[in-house]
Amino acid sequence: MSASPAAGRRALVALGIAAAVALWIFAFLQLWQTSVPSDLSLPTLDPTHYFSQDQIDRASSYQTFLSVDALLALIAQLVALGIYAIKGPGFTRESAAGRIGTGMLLGMLGLAFVWFSQLPFGLAELWWERKHDVSSQGYVTWVIDYFLAAGGEFLFISLALLIVMALTGLWKRWWWVAAAPALVAVTLVFAFVQPYLIPGQHDVHNPAIAADARELAKQEGIPGTKVTVQNTHNLGGGPNAEATGLGPTKRVILWDTLVQRFPNSQVRVVLAHEFAHLSRDHLWKSFGFMALLALPIALLVALITRRRGGLYEPASVPLAIFIVAVLLFLTLPLQTAFTRRLESEADWVALNTTRDPAAMTGLFERLGRLSKAQPNPAGWDQFIFGDHPGIMQRIEMAKAWKQRNPGH
Amino acid sequence: MTGEEPAAPPPGEPPATPPTAEAGPPAERATIVVTDDLERSRVTVFFRLILVIPHLIVLALFSILAIVLAIINWFWALFTRDTVAHDMQSRYLRYATHVLGYLNLAANPFPGFEGAPGSYPLDPQIPPQEPQNRWKTGFRLVLIVPAAILASTLGVTASSSYSGYYSFGLITTVAFLAWFAIMAIGRMPRGLRDLSVYCLNYGIQYWAYLLIVTDRYPDSDPLTKSYGPDPAPDHPIRISEDAELRRSRLTVFFRFLLFLPHYVWLALWGIAVLFTVIAQWFVTLFAGRPADALHRFNGAYLRYTTQVYSYLFLVTNEFPGFVGAPGSYPVDLHIAPPERQNRWKTGFRLILAFPALIVTSGVGGLLLVVGIFGWFVGLFLGRMPVGLRNLGVFALRYSAQVNGYLLLLTDRYPFSGPSLEQLPPESSSLPEPA
Repeated sequence: MSASPAAGRRALVALGIAAAVALWIFAFLQLWQTSVPSDLSLPTLDPTHYFSQDQIDRASSYQTFLSVDALLALIAQLVALGIYAIKGPGFTRESAAGRIGTGMLLGMLGLAFVWFSQLPFGLAELWWERKHDVSSQGYVTWVIDYFLAAGGEFLFISLALLIVMALTGLWKRWWWVAAAPALVAVTLVFAFVQPYLIPGQHDVHNPAIAADARELAKQEGIPGTKVTVQNTHNLGGGPNAEATGLGPTKRVILWDTLVQRFPNSQVRVVLAHEFAHLSRDHLWKSFGFMALLALPIALLVALITRRRGGLYEPASVPLAIFIVAVLLFLTLPLQTAFTRRLESEADWVALNTTRDPAAMTGLFERLGRLSKAQPNPAGWDQFIFGDHPGIMQRIEMAKAWKQRNPGH
Repeated sequence: MTGEEPAAPPPGEPPATPPTAEAGPPAERATIVVTDDLERSRVTVFFRLILVIPHLIVLALFSILAIVLAIINWFWALFTRDTVAHDMQSRYLRYATHVLGYLNLAANPFPGFEGAPGSYPLDPQIPPQEPQNRWKTGFRLVLIVPAAILASTLGVTASSSYSGYYSFGLITTVAFLAWFAIMAIGRMPRGLRDLSVYCLNYGIQYWAYLLIVTDRYPDSDPLTKSYGPDPAPDHPIRISEDAELRRSRLTVFFRFLLFLPHYVWLALWGIAVLFTVIAQWFVTLFAGRPADALHRFNGAYLRYTTQVYSYLFLVTNEFPGFVGAPGSYPVDLHIAPPERQNRWKTGFRLILAFPALIVTSGVGGLLLVVGIFGWFVGLFLGRMPVGLRNLGVFALRYSAQVNGYLLLLTDRYPFSGPSLEQLPPESSSLPEPA
């Protein structure tokens, strides 16, 4: 009995899909690997040894409100985009810009819907933070900043739709194959120039911190990496730091709220942590992960919008945005788990570099108190929104490192 | 000369008859009838700031009386819907217009002190007394705010009329440039005169509203005024207007952010245009005629710029395309094909454009006001007032002509008067370059 050509083709397609899925899983596992020992087990510590019961209770109440607010905001965003997917095509009449230009307009208006849907939740979050002295930003300033920040998103989606819709003009069915790497490439360009777009940066004035930075960068194998301090005390936010840029533009940015309010030993831990992001190529890993997500998402967008003429038609853009939002929502736990893993590795590398678990413990105690973060966040909260390990988990890692390296 | 007599007609011509002297329905709003012949005496223009001093003193005193009457009328109209001393207030408005017209070189003869009707080449027509709406009267000082902002941009607000201190609005810029032009050629350029008349016309409406002479809100439309019997000169760069007044509230709210992709593209395209203009300058200087390809390229850029700014400032509703294609947008720029250009004008183009650039800065202020008011009105009413829209079209047209002059699309000087009629939306009477 011989198989028909159609069955053979189906088998070939199934084989191709299986190979693609296997390749995807293989690539994901490669990205998933970190230098944190696989046999590392974190000791269970009692939060009351580090925080008072009153602090824990208040942090719990504080964090619960923010998490519920964030969850509701996410749902509101999906509802808004769902409505926009239905009503959005009507906005084509507001454009005289041709196919791609109209697509760009519809993309930006989709974000406008999101902007409105997020406004009350953002204000509620600010109100809560102000109530708990975590933020001192004014409401009007916040709304203006929020409005202007949307400008960057409008520009990004315009560029993304320009690329995608231009590709649909070239390959109506197979555009998604080229779109995913093209969009990642655009993100890479943004990441490359981002350090130059962050305002209020200056060199490190504290000679001890500057010396620490030089030494730590050398230890982590990235000597000469630039470190700057950003003036953020006027913005009303808490202490923070970030590793940003790619290749020659990469740098570590410390917020002045961190440099001014934390002892040098703890700033040293933060520096080591941020250097670890750069030395362990976490940004590149993130882009790889983004590419892995972008490919199937683009495929699904292509398949689902096919009934509306595919993304070649600007009227399909609202539906495409909705699909992307839903898929990003569904994969959110995976995304946060991935970033949590990178953050854990950065902590581990920082411990190996500074060899100062006490400073790390002190740092997270202090950060926990200032940000009123829940030491042990609720499981669902951490599952959906936890892009960093919980405070207690990080303290437990310091403890675990100490247990493995007695004498420190 | 006391200024009591009507302006003398040019020799050999019959006396001009003000259009509103004819029988017909009364004007809804205050307006100015222009019989000015553009001739100017260099001597009186040179000393204009000194000659006007007696009038400024009288005007200041007259203003005090007008304010007192306005306060009385505010209470009176609130209770009776009627006003008192309408004739006196009308006389004041006429006199103020005469004086400001004289000061700003919009007219030549020394005005009389009575503010008599029909006595001056800029003859204000004040609407007759009529019952006033109590709500509009009660909230007059609040309602006047948008008009006051526009009047301030034009330079015809309180400071310019009452105290002798002058606010430097568009009318001052126009007068400053006109002074040099008159010294050189002995005539007031038509465009500058018309622009000055527009400012005065808005000013008299603004004051009539503020002083409770009428409850008709000032109309900013530059196309409804009569700027004299002669038609405005033709120009190789014309604009066609958009008939659509509806505005999408969502796109209005986010208009600035929606403009950003265009802003980026404008900046990138602008870099290329910088080089093509330099190349075109050399071509035009040596060949005496611009190159077709560069003319098309620069013309498309100018058309695109006009489309984008008409979108940003809410003159139009639709999101524009990115290529500046002719006929692709409701507010469209019609650019005539390249023609021979005067080499002297080409060689000194940047210097020659300087006065027009000064006027553009004032006209740009108008466009900004149009955008800001249009944003609020569009957001609340979902439409653009026709007056504001037409004012925006005028500002865009003038800016396009100035930029077209700089981009060597034509050697015809920009016409600053608002009287240049726009082409109807469907028009394509001016051929596009091939």
